[in-house]
Amino acid sequence: MKKGKITITITIGLACFILVLIIFMQFKVIYQTDIASIDMMRAEELKTELSSWKSKYEEAEEKYNEISKTLKKYKEESSSGVKTKQNLQEELANLELLLGLTDVEGIGIEIILKDPENIDELEKEKEHTEQRITASELIRIVNFLKDSGAEAISINNQRIVNKTDFAQINDTTYIKINSQMVSAPFTIKAIGDSDYLKASLIGTGYVTKIKDWGQTIDFKESKNIRINKYNGNMDYKYIEN
Amino acid sequence: MILIAIIIGCVLGAIVGINLPIISYTYSTYLAIAIIAALDSVFGGITGVLKGEFDFKVFISGFFCNAILSMLLTYLGTKLNVDIYLAAIVVFVGRMFLNLTIIRKYYIDKWSKKFEEMKKK
Repeated sequence: MKKGKITITITIGLACFILVLIIFMQFKVIYQTDIASIDMMRAEELKTELSSWKSKYEEAEEKYNEISKTLKKYKEESSSGVKTKQNLQEELANLELLLGLTDVEGIGIEIILKDPENIDELEKEKEHTEQRITASELIRIVNFLKDSGAEAISINNQRIVNKTDFAQINDTTYIKINSQMVSAPFTIKAIGDSDYLKASLIGTGYVTKIKDWGQTIDFKESKNIRINKYNGNMDYKYIEN
Repeated sequence: MILIAIIIGCVLGAIVGINLPIISYTYSTYLAIAIIAALDSVFGGITGVLKGEFDFKVFISGFFCNAILSMLLTYLGTKLNVDIYLAAIVVFVGRMFLNLTIIRKYYIDKWSKKFEEMKKK
């Protein structure tokens, strides 16, 4: 046998060996590989898988966001329910305060008006300058006080509210406020800036006028004037809402 | 003699190949392309032998270089995001069919000649 032929034979044998070796390796790889398992996947497959998972994730996230939004809404609604209740209660308290349905306390003045002591005798004389305090005078006083920023007013513990009525009973000594009889001396309480309140009566010359009528008027400033609530009926019969 | 070498080589290759540790699936593309290239070289070699123009150097260099080059091209393809291995497969398999055709024709000619001779006798 020639030397060259031996070499050729060996080389061809070697080539066959390598070829079959690789082929069997590949067979083994293909046989044993679980195509679906992730660490055996090719980059492209992984890419597609990844993108599909990404889109799934995005979908899930979107859903999550939506749900959390609704949850937030519900939470807000429920908490706003509590809030509304609180607000309503606050509003109710506020309204009651405005309507004069609560006792209030604060800085203000107390005005004490006294009729002249001998008015009954004086009234018998024909010409006299003395006068009783009438309902209309009380209204004027109340208006002066309101004008100067009084937040709550009461006359002889009758709270002045929007329903308050002043009625003179037969030109007599009696005045009806809130349908309750009141008579001199009048104690007018007002909560507000005491200087303004005083000035509204003094500065306008009203006090002088009253004094001319023989009235005695006293001002008492106090840091805690207490004004009782309105005691009357606030129900409406004919108003429809 | 050559046939014995081929058989021994194949058997040994099969035994060793089965017992070798499994390689990652990622690289199986390279192995596959190398197999195709090697098979192409083998068929080319057979054709060469049949035609009588077989060059041993050409065969061996073709066998290894084609395998390695195709693997390199496949690698380049993955880097370029182009499936170059498909082109390699097309070329190799196309050539394999050409070679198989040549081999088939050669044996058909040979056998038909033999039949004619037998008929003449």
